[in-house]
Amino acid sequence: MSYRISFRTVVAALALACCLASSTRAMAKIKVVASLTDLGSIAAAVGGDQVEVKTIARPQSDPHHVEVLPSYMVSVSKARLYLKVGLMLDQWADQIIDGSRNNKVEILDCSAHIIPLEVPTTRVDGRQGDVHPNGNPHYWLDPRNGGIVARDIAAALGRIDPAHEVEFRQRAETFAKECEDSRVDGVARIAALPNRTMITYHASWVYFAEAVAMEVPGHVEPVPGIPPTGGHLQELVDLIRQRQIPVLLQEPYYSQDAPEFLARQTGIRVIKASPSCDSAQPDSYLAHFNKLIAEIVGS
Amino acid sequence: MIRRRYSPACIIFISLWIAGAPAVAGVVNPNISVIGQPYLMVTDDPANPDHDRLRMDPGETEVVFDDYLNPFTRGYFTLALNEDGLELEEGWFRILRGLPGALNLKGGKWRQGFGKLNAQHPHTYPFFDGFHVLSEFLPGDESFNESGLELSERLPSPGESSLVASLAWLQGDSFRQVRGDTIGSGDPISLSGDRSEESRPAVLGRLSAFSLIGERSGLDFGLSATSGTNNVAAGTRTTVYGADAKAKLWNSERSYLVLQAEVLKLDREDAGWSCATGYAHETVKPWGWYIYGDYNWDLRWNAGASFERYQAADRDQAWNSAFGLFGGVALMEETTAFRVGWERFRTGSAPGDVQPDPVNTFTLRVIFSMGPHKTHQF
Ligand SMILES: [Zn+2]
Ligand SMILES: [Zn+2]
Repeated sequence: MSYRISFRTVVAALALACCLASSTRAMAKIKVVASLTDLGSIAAAVGGDQVEVKTIARPQSDPHHVEVLPSYMVSVSKARLYLKVGLMLDQWADQIIDGSRNNKVEILDCSAHIIPLEVPTTRVDGRQGDVHPNGNPHYWLDPRNGGIVARDIAAALGRIDPAHEVEFRQRAETFAKECEDSRVDGVARIAALPNRTMITYHASWVYFAEAVAMEVPGHVEPVPGIPPTGGHLQELVDLIRQRQIPVLLQEPYYSQDAPEFLARQTGIRVIKASPSCDSAQPDSYLAHFNKLIAEIVGS
Repeated sequence: MIRRRYSPACIIFISLWIAGAPAVAGVVNPNISVIGQPYLMVTDDPANPDHDRLRMDPGETEVVFDDYLNPFTRGYFTLALNEDGLELEEGWFRILRGLPGALNLKGGKWRQGFGKLNAQHPHTYPFFDGFHVLSEFLPGDESFNESGLELSERLPSPGESSLVASLAWLQGDSFRQVRGDTIGSGDPISLSGDRSEESRPAVLGRLSAFSLIGERSGLDFGLSATSGTNNVAAGTRTTVYGADAKAKLWNSERSYLVLQAEVLKLDREDAGWSCATGYAHETVKPWGWYIYGDYNWDLRWNAGASFERYQAADRDQAWNSAFGLFGGVALMEETTAFRVGWERFRTGSAPGDVQPDPVNTFTLRVIFSMGPHKTHQF
């Protein structure tokens, strides 16, 4: 009999705890959580003083595989807006959002209005590796997409806080213009290079390459998510020599062995760069793009 | 800005809406995953009919279906395909949001969240099999798997640490224990079967805490307790208490160490019967623990060691122990994993008895998965 009494006591305690948790609270800023620092930085630029932004994936870690930690759920439990990358990159975000137990969070799929690249035209299976079946999800590396995302975020923030809707929209337009200016400047600097090709480790950089009119003739990964084989590396050595490809962009979370091998064999310059910006500060997104251009042109 | 609250009318509406959900669920197919786990084994255990010979075994194949049913609820099924046929290993729904506060309601059948390891699917273990101490102390044959209803709530906690309490009301089938026949005249077991088919509701409570260490590493602590009736006729009970801890410590961008341990204490009344006095019981109160460390490098390779020590849940309560070494590699984005293991298990003996020889078991398991449910959980 004694366990029944304790059962009731615990139920009562749980009921009390949830009453406390749901009690009315005034909220000063719109709490935003973003899957990536890039989306967080854009949200900070658009939201200004009206938002408080947190991000989940660390810029030095692989955004394809993020461990779902209870702390992230706690962050999202207080959020009003969640910014997802979409295109199946951050499927881990669903678990975090579910675990947050937050019924009021609005989820914005930031890929909604971008034009995806590399959308498979045939059935996708394991032979293509860990290919993203809805298209390449690394779209934030094209500043034009940064502008599109900024406008979507402004619209979402405007729905949550209509009093500041105009400000959000104005900041998004300013941000989109800065993005385009940075891109045009980047195109000009890249155009001055004698050879506008590069090798990348993963297909993280296709949008970036398109934004600044660069060509990516090969990846270190033979197919997405699969480490290189000896045969594939030899093909890359031949390709790099034949086309005199000057740079290799390498994400920090992949093994350095293959890029180091290619550098030894061909003298290709390896640039270790994260596809994501450093932080959710408003200027971090474009600073990251500008830094990438600077590293590629070698200044 | 003021946050809105949910009125009782709203909650009733949501409940009705969920009840009527099948009309909107199943927009497309659910996620489907199939995991094969064949293995090779060599053991010198004389109790194993294949001892000292190589055994090839298809293992258990796991089929998982899961998806959202509606904006509030997720559904999940695990089917186990083995030599006994196809079994419903787990089948549950979970109301994730829409209930008052941050309550979650889970209902159905599932591997219960007692401690860390029991709730995990075995294909996510870095070693071949679960620990002996868990199968010895926890209710159920292979795992503590029960039908029931569970309410859980996230409790207020400082910063970004997490504190979750859950309470489950279980059917109690896995607690049942058939008492040995005394062959005494009038023993109810030989007359009516001792009501061994009956079960009574059981309870399981758990409190778990998580805290980040630095940017990425984490520390988990948990306390669990479960209690249920093991023999309805005699009114005897089984109660298990557990404490667990896990640390996942990243030491570089591509390597980390997992340290995990659980301590369990069993308090079980074993029903007995005598012609003279009727029902009686004897209580066993053994305890035991396990610990393992698993170092993962380059995100694909791992190696580790485990140790466990526990008292047998019988009158002698002799100390058993096992030491294990294991290692593995995961290929191609977790679609295939190879795991090798060696375990040396030493059965305890009562004072004065001959100590049995330790049993050595070598295993090689291949785990391959199709679909989003992978060989190991990130
Ligand atoms: Zn990718
Ligand atoms: Zn599984």
